[in-house]
Amino acid sequence: MIAPSSLESVGAVRFRTRLLIAMMLVVSAITAGVLYVTQRKAAEAYEQELQHEFQAELAAVHGVQEIRHAALVERCRALVRRPRIHAALEDNALDLLYPSAKDELRDVMLPDTDPTSEPALYGLHAEFYRFLDHDGAVIRAPNTAEVGELSAAEEAQLALPGAPLRPQLGYLVRQTAERANAITEVFAMPIVSTETGEPIAAIVLGFKSAVFPGSRDANGIKRGMWLNGRLQLDAVSPAEFAAISTELAAAIPGSQDNAALTMRPVEGARHLLFFKQVNPGSAFPAAYEVCVYSLAELREREQQLRWSVLSVGAALLLAALAVSHLISGRLSRPVEKLAVDSAEHLAQRVQAEARLEVTNEELQRAARFSADASHQLKTPVTVLRAGLEELLTHEKLTPEECHDISALIHQTHRLSGVIEDLLLLSRMDAGRLKIEFRRVNLTRLIEAALDDLSAQPGALDLEVESDLPGEMEVSGEDRYVAMILQNLLENARKYNRPGGKIRIRAKSEDRHLLLCVANTGRPIAAEAREHIFERFHRGKMGENVPGYGLGLNLARELARLHGGDLKLLRSDSEWTEFEVHFLTAVVRPSDQEVTS
Amino acid sequence: MQTFRAWAAWLGVSLLSVTSAICAEGVIEGHVTLPAARSTPVVNKRYEIVSKGGVIATNPPLAVVYLEGSFPNSPPPPTVQQPQKDLAFVPALLAVQVGTRVEFPNLDDTYHNIFSYSAPKRFDLGRYRPEERPIPSQVFDVPGLVTLRCEIHEHMRGAILVLATPYFVVTDEAGNYRLSGIPPGRYVLKAWLSSKKTLEQPVEVGESKVRLDFP
Repeated sequence: MIAPSSLESVGAVRFRTRLLIAMMLVVSAITAGVLYVTQRKAAEAYEQELQHEFQAELAAVHGVQEIRHAALVERCRALVRRPRIHAALEDNALDLLYPSAKDELRDVMLPDTDPTSEPALYGLHAEFYRFLDHDGAVIRAPNTAEVGELSAAEEAQLALPGAPLRPQLGYLVRQTAERANAITEVFAMPIVSTETGEPIAAIVLGFKSAVFPGSRDANGIKRGMWLNGRLQLDAVSPAEFAAISTELAAAIPGSQDNAALTMRPVEGARHLLFFKQVNPGSAFPAAYEVCVYSLAELREREQQLRWSVLSVGAALLLAALAVSHLISGRLSRPVEKLAVDSAEHLAQRVQAEARLEVTNEELQRAARFSADASHQLKTPVTVLRAGLEELLTHEKLTPEECHDISALIHQTHRLSGVIEDLLLLSRMDAGRLKIEFRRVNLTRLIEAALDDLSAQPGALDLEVESDLPGEMEVSGEDRYVAMILQNLLENARKYNRPGGKIRIRAKSEDRHLLLCVANTGRPIAAEAREHIFERFHRGKMGENVPGYGLGLNLARELARLHGGDLKLLRSDSEWTEFEVHFLTAVVRPSDQEVTS
Repeated sequence: MQTFRAWAAWLGVSLLSVTSAICAEGVIEGHVTLPAARSTPVVNKRYEIVSKGGVIATNPPLAVVYLEGSFPNSPPPPTVQQPQKDLAFVPALLAVQVGTRVEFPNLDDTYHNIFSYSAPKRFDLGRYRPEERPIPSQVFDVPGLVTLRCEIHEHMRGAILVLATPYFVVTDEAGNYRLSGIPPGRYVLKAWLSSKKTLEQPVEVGESKVRLDFP
């Protein structure tokens, strides 16, 4: 038993390991999937958040710019309606143009003495102004100190193809005392004839740009400008500057939708680049707002996210390992128990089957032997009886010889009976006896048996009492039921005392019919009672009683084959009583039809 | 309109009376073919000074017909007025003889600031109210066209044609004119149509009435 159990335990351990591995695989796959999705979603969300943030910020800046531009346009519009300026332009008094404008633009050109004042804060003070004539050429100012100093090259950039119809926004890169490459916003405002509505001239004002260039926001967005094929962007390294310039030079001529915000990765995706034309449709050279977003922080945050996701994943996996270990242990325990139990059961069953096989074989052999023996015996007995009967027919025999031969013939009959009984028993043992269940009229069989009993020789002057409830029918086969009755009555006769009684009672009980056969006579010894149903057992008092100890055994085997049983009810000084019960015959519809 | 007519009538009568008082002799009558009126949706029909491409004219078109030549010294011309009424100059186009003082009374309930950047006369009267006294005025002593503007009301436009002759008249809307009291002699009759267009014809004025049309 030790070897298989250890084998089984090895199997169980293997099962548990497999279960654990499978659970771990499932858990790992689920965890990995969930973490992957989470990481992806988080990265996407972060990128979206970044874009939203960026756009919101840009929108805010653009909103401020728009308000500022609107304010500037309004300022310029008020200027270009001034009658003195109109008079100077329309009444051929250009010499009075700048002197008149000086008065009119006094507020606009006010230097930013107080940097916290609103106009200074929003850059509403002009740095310079010039007039353009009807053809868009710059009208030279007599005193440049009053109109804001500009180099000749800068002044030339203010010229337009003609006096514009609408306000134009442009940008100018200037080298001022304060800083190199300062970006100035330039508004060109048409001066329109009040009579004809046609532009007759324009005024160009330069405002210090509020945002550009190189301004840097809190979240790392750098702002600059792309103007005249050159990038104006501070706060980046020369290498980045070169890379961004190259990218913009390649991207901007091809960008179709000037109003759209284009986003491009540059420098091996270390920066995100946004650009957008800020003066679409302007007669001035196109100016692009350029925003550079360093992805270093983004990458750092992604790295952090990845690490945190990984650590969370590891923790989850550890927890899952523990949990699955626990679960697999709990799951495999009944399975292991089952395996062990089944192994034990299997072993026991194998043993039992082996034993059963042996027993069966022995039984079969014994039964076959009995049957063979019976058959082998039957023929010589028949031959013997035939010879004896032949002898009896001889006329020369004396009465004594006749008596002896008759006695011999009687013995052959007994021998035949024993052989029959043995044959029957061996058939039963081999399980070859099949009862053909029919309706058996028990009352008639009892009557017949009692008849036979009274015809037996050597009468003991027995009195038979019978208490039978009318017609009784049981389920069984006639000859075997008769055999049971014969055996019981035969016993009752044989073991009776002279002048004794035989009592037969019957009663129905549920689906059974109980038949009690009692006889007077010496009781069966208490120690012999459990052996009376064994084969070839004969009671002590039976030495002078004919028989060979097969009757009760045969009767009980037959009763059991009939679905009933045979028991010793009592055996005392008064009665020895056996009880046999049969199955009551089932009343079938066809029988009812017959009887009715 | 009523005001303008009254002023025109007054002007004509005064001029006639003046000229006829000096020498009640020659008379020139005629017709100036005026350019087609610009179809500007003018709700309140006024004579307005318009400039297109630097050309100043009135709308609806009017012409100023004047006589050039040598005249004996005439007494200094009387002061005339070109008031601002309903945010406009009335009349929009005023013709004066050189040396005339023009007063610009403010007949509105608001400030006006009349100025001119025109070459013959640059001036700036500054802001003044209706009750400003003396009435702001300027003497126009250089012939030429003076464009008047108001510094406060950008749309206000007026013109003064300063002429070196005492004989001039503004045509009516149809282009008809009449000059009288002209001493006999040979002159050049001119018709000012806009700052860029002045027609002229020689004319000889005798005892009788001369009829002269500008095509």
